[in-house]
Amino acid sequence: MKKTFIMAWRNIWRNKRRTLITVASIFFAVFFAVVMRSFQLGTYDHMIHQAIESFTGYIQIQDKEFFYEPSLDNSFEYTDEIVSSVKKVENVQVAVPRVESFALASTGLQSKGVLVTGIDPVKEKNLSNPENRIVKFRFTPEIVDQIIKEVELPEKQVELIKANENNSYSSFSRISLDMALDSDLEKILFPVIEQKASFESDYLNTNDDGVLVSDRLARYLKADVGDTLVLIGAGYHGMSAANIFPIRGIVKILSPELDNKLVYMTLENAQQFFSLGNRVTTLNINLEDPDEMVESQEDLQNAINNDQFTVKNWEEFNPTMKQQIEGDSVGGVIFIGILYFIVLFGIVGTVLMMIAERKRELGVMVAIGMAKVKLSFVLVFEMLFLGLIGTLSGLAASAPVVVFFNRNPIKMTGEMSKMYEDMGFDPVMPLAWFNDYFVWQAVIVMIMVIIACYLPLRRVRKMNVIKALRA
Amino acid sequence: MNVIEINNLTKIYNESEVKVKAVDNVSLQFEQGEFAAIVGPSGSGKTTLLNMIGGLDKSTEGDIVVDGVKIGELKSSKLIDFRLRNIGFVFQAYNLIPVLTAKENVEFIMELQGKSRVERDERSIALLSAVGLGERVNARPAKLSGGQQQRVAVARALASKPKFVLADEPTANLDSKSTETLLDIMEQLNKEENITFIFSTHDQRVVNKARRVITVEDGHVVSDERRA
Repeated sequence: MKKTFIMAWRNIWRNKRRTLITVASIFFAVFFAVVMRSFQLGTYDHMIHQAIESFTGYIQIQDKEFFYEPSLDNSFEYTDEIVSSVKKVENVQVAVPRVESFALASTGLQSKGVLVTGIDPVKEKNLSNPENRIVKFRFTPEIVDQIIKEVELPEKQVELIKANENNSYSSFSRISLDMALDSDLEKILFPVIEQKASFESDYLNTNDDGVLVSDRLARYLKADVGDTLVLIGAGYHGMSAANIFPIRGIVKILSPELDNKLVYMTLENAQQFFSLGNRVTTLNINLEDPDEMVESQEDLQNAINNDQFTVKNWEEFNPTMKQQIEGDSVGGVIFIGILYFIVLFGIVGTVLMMIAERKRELGVMVAIGMAKVKLSFVLVFEMLFLGLIGTLSGLAASAPVVVFFNRNPIKMTGEMSKMYEDMGFDPVMPLAWFNDYFVWQAVIVMIMVIIACYLPLRRVRKMNVIKALRA
Repeated sequence: MNVIEINNLTKIYNESEVKVKAVDNVSLQFEQGEFAAIVGPSGSGKTTLLNMIGGLDKSTEGDIVVDGVKIGELKSSKLIDFRLRNIGFVFQAYNLIPVLTAKENVEFIMELQGKSRVERDERSIALLSAVGLGERVNARPAKLSGGQQQRVAVARALASKPKFVLADEPTANLDSKSTETLLDIMEQLNKEENITFIFSTHDQRVVNKARRVITVEDGHVVSDERRA
């Protein structure tokens, strides 16, 4: 077997140029497939993180009717019994009660339909964590001018700061990402931003009677901290719901869709506003291991064991997003499939040429007593070597790209950015960390190699030694 | 004792509408230790006859018995194994495996036979030394002259300890000196190891060395001369 390996290895280097071209075609296919797939999966993860993990939770417990008719009339009593049932399920990381309903919001100048979300300010820190999203910095045109005048920045960063005019930020890390700052620039720019662009905004206390308004909604309503927000809507069983609420803070929500319509208030405040008593609309749950979502959903359903409730996962209560991801994913997979298909023809061509060139040599080997099966092994190993060199080098070259863009996601600009925002997503493309997709590229290439081996092996099996010796 | 018995062997090619009788009702016997040359003009059927003796080609009629085995009745895989254990081949165009060194080429056939590493090492070096290439064991074929390559081919043919060696025009591509050296080596191995050598050749120098000369014309054996 050792000699078979040696022969196969030496054979592939007999025509270095051809081997390098074949290896290069596999290398580029693997490289682009990994990077493309990583971009896709990273984008999906980001979408899921901002819309699911950071807002709705992976699983929700609802009244059975709420799923079909999400109205306050289909809310349920939030009891200790249901809380203890949920806590029994191992994979549950956090379960927070919420009241969610729509109302008309107005500040006198503008009005807009908003999503009123009643939260427990303490428990909610474990799910959407609005406290972490409180706006701390605002880049008004005047502040942007001041910063540009005060600090000497590279042209690129000046342009990026201007492009983010009127934006609000809840953290330095997001400023750093949006403005492509390295650690040196951060050291220069952050103290100036802290001095010029700091924004006073508070989080809700447990018994707070005020509200938090999402950034884009606040800008639309021309509302600011300290202003009063009027909310008018329909409460439980048609009760009228109308009240005024002081704005305690502005929150920056990553998902642009939510950022355009979200108003947070305390759970107690929302229950009072909507005349709900002790009722809530959903119990939102995040999981320790999201991959076990379906199993946890079943466990929760069994743990609650009550016909009044239903347990839904995010793919059920947000089917649009699931379909969006699936549709896009299929498109990506088809593209990668075409890429590999083209490479497969390249590999088959190489193999056929290798066989044609060495017809007499192969004939001699069989003539002197080499079994056709052993000869086939030589050819298979040659193909495997080509596949392995191409695949491993492709994976090795793509790994640093994955690591870099996972740590430094690409912030989209221009039309692409608008398109993402229109779809309700943050226009940021991080690469997914190493996962199954990485290993799958190697598996796909090996499958291609096995397919490509079919023709040469068939030729060896059907080889006429006399004709081969005359070649 | 006969190593090879050829009985009423006929080969007809049907490649075109015209049937060609390449070998016509040939019967021959070869004994252990013979040094025989099959001669004849181009197209006389000597290579076809050699290919059939070596089990590379199938006869249309008749049979070949090697050491009691009718090789025409063996299945393809069994025939390959039979060739590996019983027949050595030397080709006109050397046909060494280009990616293997001289020693590896000689060892290759013994590795296929499942011989131990020690035995392979010893025999390959001994054979290469016997053909005068003890100093070039690690050279690849591309680094050897035509004569040297053909000597490696002879060493390879003998590596498996075959019952006989078939050599198809082994000197056709060699100069006079290389031909002389090669023939001397083969004659010496024939005498020392009592291995049967059968050549197909046009080369008078080979004919002169042969102790038996079989002349073939139009697929028939027209003469079978034994020399002392």
